[in-house]
Amino acid sequence: MAKLKLACYWAASCGGCDVAILDLNERILQVADLADIVFWPIAVDFKHHDVEAMPDKSIDFCLFNGAVRNSEQEEIARLLRDKSKIMVAFGSCAHLGGIPGLANFNNRTQIFERAYLEAQSNDNPDKTLPQTSSKVSEGELELPEFYDTVKALNQVVGVDYYVPGCPPPVPIISKVIDAIASQKLPPKGSVFASDKSLCDECPRTKGEKKIKKLYRPHEIIPDPEQCLLEQGILCMGPATRGGCGALCIKANMPCRGCFGPLPSVSDQGAKMLSALASIYDIDIKDEVAMAQMVEEVVDIAGSFYRFCLPTALINRRRM
Amino acid sequence: MSDVRIGIFVCHCGKNIGGVINVPEVTEYAKTLPDVVYAEHNLYTCSAEGISSIRQKISEHKLNRVVVASCTPRTHETLFRNACEAAGLNKYLFEFVNIRDQCSWVHMQEPEKATEKARDLIRMGVAKARLLEPLEEVEIRVTPSCLVIGGGVAGMSAALNLANQGFEVYLVERDKELGGLLLNLNRLFTINGKAEEVIIPLIERVKNHQKIKVHTSTEVKGVAGFIGNFDVTLDQKGEERKIKVGTIIVATGAEVLKPVGQYGYGDKSNILTQLELEERLNKGMGDEQNIVMINCVGARIPERPYCGRICCMVAIKNAVLIKENDPRAKVWVLHRDLMTYGTEFEKYYQKAMEKGIRFIRYSLDKPPEIVGNNKVKAVKVYHQLMGKEMVLPCDMLVLTTPLIPHEDNQDISRMLRVSLSEHGFFLEAHLKLQPVEFATDGIYICGCARWPTDVPEAISQACAASAKAVIPMRRGYVRPEAITASVNEDKCSGCGTCVLLCPYNAIELQSKDGKKLAHITTAQCKGCGTCGAACPSGAISMNHFRDEEILAQVEALVI
Amino acid sequence: MRNETQVKKSGFEPKILAFCCNWCSYAGADLAGTSRIQYAPNVRVIRVMCSGRIDPTFILRAFQVGVDGVLILGCHPGDCHYIDGNYKTARRIHMLKKMLSQLGIEDDRLRLDWVSAAEGKRFASIINDMTERIRALGPFVR
Repeated sequence: MAKLKLACYWAASCGGCDVAILDLNERILQVADLADIVFWPIAVDFKHHDVEAMPDKSIDFCLFNGAVRNSEQEEIARLLRDKSKIMVAFGSCAHLGGIPGLANFNNRTQIFERAYLEAQSNDNPDKTLPQTSSKVSEGELELPEFYDTVKALNQVVGVDYYVPGCPPPVPIISKVIDAIASQKLPPKGSVFASDKSLCDECPRTKGEKKIKKLYRPHEIIPDPEQCLLEQGILCMGPATRGGCGALCIKANMPCRGCFGPLPSVSDQGAKMLSALASIYDIDIKDEVAMAQMVEEVVDIAGSFYRFCLPTALINRRRM
Repeated sequence: MSDVRIGIFVCHCGKNIGGVINVPEVTEYAKTLPDVVYAEHNLYTCSAEGISSIRQKISEHKLNRVVVASCTPRTHETLFRNACEAAGLNKYLFEFVNIRDQCSWVHMQEPEKATEKARDLIRMGVAKARLLEPLEEVEIRVTPSCLVIGGGVAGMSAALNLANQGFEVYLVERDKELGGLLLNLNRLFTINGKAEEVIIPLIERVKNHQKIKVHTSTEVKGVAGFIGNFDVTLDQKGEERKIKVGTIIVATGAEVLKPVGQYGYGDKSNILTQLELEERLNKGMGDEQNIVMINCVGARIPERPYCGRICCMVAIKNAVLIKENDPRAKVWVLHRDLMTYGTEFEKYYQKAMEKGIRFIRYSLDKPPEIVGNNKVKAVKVYHQLMGKEMVLPCDMLVLTTPLIPHEDNQDISRMLRVSLSEHGFFLEAHLKLQPVEFATDGIYICGCARWPTDVPEAISQACAASAKAVIPMRRGYVRPEAITASVNEDKCSGCGTCVLLCPYNAIELQSKDGKKLAHITTAQCKGCGTCGAACPSGAISMNHFRDEEILAQVEALVI
Repeated sequence: MRNETQVKKSGFEPKILAFCCNWCSYAGADLAGTSRIQYAPNVRVIRVMCSGRIDPTFILRAFQVGVDGVLILGCHPGDCHYIDGNYKTARRIHMLKKMLSQLGIEDDRLRLDWVSAAEGKRFASIINDMTERIRALGPFVR
């Protein structure tokens, strides 16, 4: 079999997904045997024009991580889509919008003001904000445009497969590599994860799902054996795809939802909200308790849509 | 190509709809909607002609969904569903659109807007109809026997009622003897007849009844199943026995609070509870001349805020009996409020006052105080009306305490999957609409297990509960709701969110291939759909109101 | 989905979705009809058996497709045909309202209220009030 051609790219992301690929450790050598890396800005020195010069669909598969928040990322996403046979949204940001997607609670103006004018660490006496063009001695430079709204990869280009996780766990990456190597790929559109929620693989004991009060993780020391949600810790597990191996849970930390909603669910946040409000054992006539319930879920939207705001039904704050 | 074939029947309802809404125009519009293969309008769709037209058009146009746009499903759904069924179409493939009660009648001055609204409503109805699925109705056989838990006056009365109607009854009592609390009572208000004159003949009738199987010294160890088919495990001193019953009546009663530590109870020899006084009265009183009773001991306090309801009457009764026994004796009843409801009780209270019994009101912030070391010698009480403290001589102090729920009510409630109130008594499905019935079908409640009651009330409730239990047993079957929730096991992860949400306890986690999965007992499900709304996996489907169906309606609202 | 120009062209008539439970609020709506109480023609009702059936997803989807306001009408507390379905609804909607505020959706666009089968007048006045509030807010444009 001829060697495959692999491209990797990071758009709006933290870099953790690239590190996750390197976390394959010795298996990375198998990847090297399997495929030639034709583009991977973090690891090898190929340029944009190198990709442009490739014939369409000449890359066998592209692992694209990061959300799309500016015109450069969108341009490269389109370019890689054209050049790749298989486009994989790799990691929560490409899959669902991820942490950068939380920027959708604000718009460009607010973000610029905060980042370049208000932040205490700034030294910006001329109040310069990012521009789409800049005059330099060699002429005028065209610069990427920062978007108002962050998008997941499939809101910009067609995506063939999704690899969830922040970052994707190594066993899942191995599974993807195996699937590509053996050419035994699941149906298009598949998500490389469980079709059941995290609770399915969670090792903890489940009792009565009823809570009186919600705690933030630092406020109590949870029992390591019992369901975290039942102990009053906001665990997104019930509304989140499994497949990660319950990594956070095993570290006595609640699931934060990075694998996204279940296949039959169109809005992870709405579902988790509904489940949580349902099991809150308080009387609706007790106004104090009702007000407290809402306060206890610190940053409701941010918590329920931590990784998926751009792909939620209402995907940004209205301005 | 979709194989859905929808027929729409738009009703004029004489002038009721047709006088406001442009029915022919709406009908033409309906024809343009997806999967609609036929549409007509009728003067009265509910008339014999209308109904026969529905039946005829179903076969003529091979319709597999029917939409009627007319009045309200609350009055006419059954009629149109039956018309579909008569034409061989599953009746759940019918969808109702309300363009009269909620459209033409309420927008009579705005015919254009009413017509536009009718178009929208029909479009939404069609969007749902396209996704409707057939549902089956099942019949569940009901075993004609009843388990009555508790052999007190309530349980025995219920058992007798059922047995006299020819049903097999298993009467389970955990004590050695039948009789319950009444065994320890002296006389009963308001007739002041002997308690044993009520309870002994009742016990005899129960024991001698062919249809009643009495199990004393026996506890209910396990209950599985649902209405018509409960599998019950009885435990008689370690010996287990399995029975099958169709219905269950809970008549486990309550117990009298022992006011340990209050007013010196337990430390001083001349302090009794009302229950202990009953025994003394029965055996014969001593020569006590000054008797003080304190009411609301352990009741209507922050830890136990409820009123014991019958304790005032118990105190009055015993005060009267003391007076009748020895008219020279002085009796004071210290109370916070008197619960002597109804004409009978009020008369009884009047009689007590006429006999010279003194009623003194105290308040919780100035409770009575006792004087004396080994024995109570006097009771100090702040008389609210006179505004001063009184010192009452006391040879015997009687504390009136409320009935409290049994400690193991929690276990029984879990076993039967029925609810307890915040105070620990059993809680019926609805105070006004369904007294004596639990939310769980086939299980009923009577007597002090529900709330402190006197004997006539316990018997009335026993009659009510047994009458309710007879309904499914006499009929022989129940037909549970067809519109129920179901679990897709391929999607369920057993998170357990749904389990406690079900008001009918129809959901439990069951082990399957080593995993716990939600399981809905269809016979117990009433189809409210709250589980489906909460299921974070989207694994629970609320039939006839599925996510897809409702979302299709929502999406069709805006074009 | 509607866009801004369409809305501007036609003059603003709010499109409001109401979820009504079969036993109380839907019956209350029917009573408004039999009593011939006239109210604003802006509401489209979806009948569910219990307000407890209403998944917050339905409400978000309604806003997503361009509904201007959503009404949830259930039985009064204590009167739920299914014992306490409306309690669950109340907690969900209470929490959802907080979430909607973070998404910039005005509080008035989602309203939870109770209507009994005997309250035709109350149903009509809630519809009128809601319609006016949404009219004042203007169309829901994302």
